[in-house]
Amino acid sequence: MKSAAFDYAKPKALSEALALLAEAGEDARLIAGGQTLLATLNLRLSEPSVLIDISHLDELKGISVIGEQLRIGALVTHTEIEDSKLIAQHAPLLKAAVPHIAHRAIRNLGTWGGSLAYGDPAAEWPACSLALNATMLIAGPAGERRISAQDFFIDLYTTSLEPDEILVATEFPIASSNQVFYFHELARRHGDYAVAGLALVANKVGNVLSNCTFTFFSVGATPVMATKAQALIDGKPLNEDLIASAVAAARAEIDAIADITNSAETKRHLIGVLLERGLKHLIA
Amino acid sequence: MELNGEQLIAAPIPDVWKGLNDIDVLAKSIPGCEEISRISPEEIHAKVMFKIGPVRARFAGKLLLSDVIPDQSCSMAFEGSGGAAGFAKGRSRVELKLVDGGTLISYTTEASIGGKLGQIGGRLISASAKKIADDFFQRFAKELGGEVLPLESDAQAE
Repeated sequence: MKSAAFDYAKPKALSEALALLAEAGEDARLIAGGQTLLATLNLRLSEPSVLIDISHLDELKGISVIGEQLRIGALVTHTEIEDSKLIAQHAPLLKAAVPHIAHRAIRNLGTWGGSLAYGDPAAEWPACSLALNATMLIAGPAGERRISAQDFFIDLYTTSLEPDEILVATEFPIASSNQVFYFHELARRHGDYAVAGLALVANKVGNVLSNCTFTFFSVGATPVMATKAQALIDGKPLNEDLIASAVAAARAEIDAIADITNSAETKRHLIGVLLERGLKHLIA
Repeated sequence: MELNGEQLIAAPIPDVWKGLNDIDVLAKSIPGCEEISRISPEEIHAKVMFKIGPVRARFAGKLLLSDVIPDQSCSMAFEGSGGAAGFAKGRSRVELKLVDGGTLISYTTEASIGGKLGQIGGRLISASAKKIADDFFQRFAKELGGEVLPLESDAQAE
């Protein structure tokens, strides 16, 4: 199958892209890497009237450190993240997560911002941005606004982005020297959508974890934090009993949703498996 | 796919029943509803634009009501076609109950989805169906001038 006919525009500046988007309204789609969009167009699951290609917008490019913040432009590809020294140094969680994203050919084209704006509940970047307490920088007709990752992901494939807005970049605090992390996902084959996944970040002093975030993905309509389990672990010496109670708390507090092959019970079980492995990895 | 759930709406049973049978209320409540018409007391035709994630497909469908007991319950059979995107068909049963604070709507739905939508959308079809159902009841409650009250157990899609 091939896609239905559409118009194509390639603006050279963010302001031009915003004007095109405002003019075309909801029938327009932005295209960056196109790794999800093109497949759905070719299957005619969606037939937009115009594609606005944002791949030439310099405002959306590059990885940089600004003070204590790491900025990742929306157009940065998964491969750029994989190969970046700045990422390895300041956001090691992302370096650990990136090999789980599909396959290299897809990572060469797919983008950080595309994954965030799409908001697939099984995707790695929404979960990582939540785990790292990221802030989204969004441009719209009224100027730029900032919103935390916590408020950005609203529901299944639904973010706080309005149809006339463009995600420009994200910023998050660079990793402190005592930051520890664990990233893992359970999938039937490497590169498949995860059945369940975990992005865990904390500060570690001795065997005490603090500022923990346990972000699970592919278990609900959005990535979700196990806040009760986090509170149980926070500030206490980590041991087997504490891990067991956090595992039970995470299983109880997350409202898992079934997918086509895995029941909610399976997902709930895997939430505990992942958290137990992650916490044990951190005290090993 | 099965989708079963309960929604508590802060409105009396006769209002809820009337709303569920009023195509103007339904037109405003069904997310993406573009056209709706009643062919006979038991048959409703509708055109709906579904927008979830990658999918933006226009479905034309019909709904057949049966076992209608006013203010209590009804069954419905539905089928819809979204052209190249695929099709959906199934059955649903809806019951109304008087409870503290308003009307409890319980629904059980069995549906099968085919075509491209089944292959591509299949992974998240339950979550998508739950989102559409939740959106519907939010809008429906607003149309009735009430609100959806939180329940202890939420809709569970299997």
